[in-house]
Amino acid sequence: MDVEPRDLTEEIKRLQRCVNDLVSVLALPAMWSGGEPAHIVHTLLDALLRMLQLDLVYVRMTETGGHAPIEMVRFAQSQKQLATPHEIGDVLKQLLGTAPQEWPPLMRIPLGDRDISIVPLGLGLQGEIGVIVAGSERADFPQQTERLILSVAANQASIGLHEAWLRSEQKRVASELDRRVAQRTTELAAANEELRKEIADRKHVEEDLRSSEEKHRVIVEAANDAVVSMDERGAILLANPATKRIFGYDPVEIVGKPMTMLMPEMMRKLHENGFKRYLTTGKRHLNWQGVEVTAQRKDGEEFPVEVSFGELTSDGHKVFTGYIRDISERKQAEDQLRASERNLQMTQAELARVSRLTTMGELAASIAHEVNQPLTGVINNGSACLRLLANHNLEPEVLRRALDGIVADGTRASAVLARIRAFIRKEQAEKDPLDMNKVIQEVLALAGRELYENQVLVDHQLTTDLPFVLADRVQLQQVLLNLIMNGIEALIAVTDRPRLLWVQSRIDESGDVLVAVSDSGTGFDLEVDRVFTPFFTTKAKGMGMGLSISRSLIESHGGRLWATPNSPHGAVFSFTLPATVRSPS
Amino acid sequence: MTSAPVVFVVDDDPSVRSSLKFLLSTVGLHVESFDSANSFLHKNPPDAPSCLVLDVRLPGLSGLDFQRELAAKKISIPIVFLTGHGDIPMSVHAMKAGAVEFLTKPFRDQDLLDAVRIALERDGARREQEKEVMILQGRFDSLTSREREVISMVVSGMLNKQIADQLGTAESTVKVQRSRALEKMHAESLVDLVRMIEKLKGPSGLR
Repeated sequence: MDVEPRDLTEEIKRLQRCVNDLVSVLALPAMWSGGEPAHIVHTLLDALLRMLQLDLVYVRMTETGGHAPIEMVRFAQSQKQLATPHEIGDVLKQLLGTAPQEWPPLMRIPLGDRDISIVPLGLGLQGEIGVIVAGSERADFPQQTERLILSVAANQASIGLHEAWLRSEQKRVASELDRRVAQRTTELAAANEELRKEIADRKHVEEDLRSSEEKHRVIVEAANDAVVSMDERGAILLANPATKRIFGYDPVEIVGKPMTMLMPEMMRKLHENGFKRYLTTGKRHLNWQGVEVTAQRKDGEEFPVEVSFGELTSDGHKVFTGYIRDISERKQAEDQLRASERNLQMTQAELARVSRLTTMGELAASIAHEVNQPLTGVINNGSACLRLLANHNLEPEVLRRALDGIVADGTRASAVLARIRAFIRKEQAEKDPLDMNKVIQEVLALAGRELYENQVLVDHQLTTDLPFVLADRVQLQQVLLNLIMNGIEALIAVTDRPRLLWVQSRIDESGDVLVAVSDSGTGFDLEVDRVFTPFFTTKAKGMGMGLSISRSLIESHGGRLWATPNSPHGAVFSFTLPATVRSPS
Repeated sequence: MTSAPVVFVVDDDPSVRSSLKFLLSTVGLHVESFDSANSFLHKNPPDAPSCLVLDVRLPGLSGLDFQRELAAKKISIPIVFLTGHGDIPMSVHAMKAGAVEFLTKPFRDQDLLDAVRIALERDGARREQEKEVMILQGRFDSLTSREREVISMVVSGMLNKQIADQLGTAESTVKVQRSRALEKMHAESLVDLVRMIEKLKGPSGLR
């Protein structure tokens, strides 16, 4: 070859430099090992810019292996920053189109005020990874060696990037695997925990159930109340030990027998009907939560009980359980309380009556003395005059003196009576607005035992929303109690018909509150009004003051008290009181 | 010596007092009236049959208390009680304590006049009796102690001989003493003497 020695030397140097550069490029992958794509691109660009003395080098990478797309540009140090990678990318895209495979191997493009030769090189086998664009102002760019270095570098970068991608993909897969394993592990642990908890819960529930069954069994066994279950046919299924104590039946004696055997005869039909109705209509004939009824012991004794019912459907069959409490003692205590209340009331009434009588007695004594003094004078004077007249010895002067005395004494007697009347009028009762129905209920409660013991049935027809009456509560109670006790006494003699007592409240034609106490007792033949005369009585132990006092009490309240015969038997005592304002305040 | 009977009326009511006085005057009775028990007590008892018409209810001392006080003072005057409003226990009490009658005001005039008449008769009789006892007592007091001894033995039924034996004297001496005592006592017979001694032993006589 005929080559100039100086050129040759130059050529050798250039080739040596090229070989050095190639070695450097080939060494690059060692630097990239384990690096990120950005790091790979970065070092690649720096190396190319320095080796080939390029004016710019640009890279654009598509999104790969979970790495974000990269667009980067480097300029020669002598060059000032001409544009951003994106601006460069936009210029290149316009010139080159979008598909890197279709790019020409070399182009000269204007950039700013200069022209630049650019060489695009695809990354990856089909350029699928991205594109590197090397640019230089030099006209001879790229020389053969430069193109070699560029293509080797692009290949190296492709391999490095691919490796990086694989590595990162591997890493991603591994971490995904790890994540999945971890997630699954967590899920399994949670499921395991759930299962353990479920098992524990079930165990707990079972224990609870067992202990609650045990508890219920103990409660039922130890209960003070009789607990008796029956089936839909009304046959006893179960009875607890308390049943023995309360009813006298051993539980084994009654299981299988009808429930009605625990009831008195008169209740059985009622129960059967009510039960039948409930089964067909679901309508309860009595309150299931604590109802007071009469039960019957084995020895036939009837006693009051409080019963609550529960219903349970088991295997498609209804089971009814009754909780039966013996309330004899409570009833007795209540009765006693009521009796003592009534006694207290009666005592109070009696006391009031006695004190009234005593006051009346004292008053009577006082009246007698005060009035008898002048009467004595009148009678003495009169008698003396008659005697003298009989003897034809009555002188007018004597007669005049006697008559003066008589007139004076008569005047005096009437003055005494006027004074007493004024005194009596001062006694005023304490009057409050009262609900008549409430007073009636109170008095019926007070007389409850008396009514029960004498087998008197009470029927009350109380009109609701009665206006209030202005009255002294105690006096009103006394009057009502008196009328009711009178009714009871009139009924005691009755043996051939029901002993009935009616208590009625209503508003009469004139708007007054009317109360009527009627009985089916012996009644009175004639002279109905005579019963109100003081000291009139039909009773063996009566004072004959009750009705008389009652009438004056009612009259002092502005009302009336009267009696009429009841048809066909007995008597009706009615009284009225004027209605007052609707409510007490 | 005995003057006209007197009726004492004690009542705090002037109209009752005056009308009683008027009524009692129609049968010719002398009436003295007082408005309280105390004013009656200040009055000297008259020497004549008298009685007390007394109201139970009096200011100060009540009628029943007054009756008790009179008894304590040994003033025995028959009482006719008047009351405005008497009860049975009160009247029983009064009657037991010697009241003649217990009248409730106003009373029938005849009932009062009857009661007053009975009371005055009773008081008259009592006065007669007291007078007789007084005379007998005077005669009895004139006896010697030996004569008193002898007649008390005679009255108890002893024979002269027994009396002589007991007194250690002769039977003839006893006979003399006995007839002298009968004479002094104005007794006509032994029976008469026994009656007189009984009277002396009576309520206001011999102790």
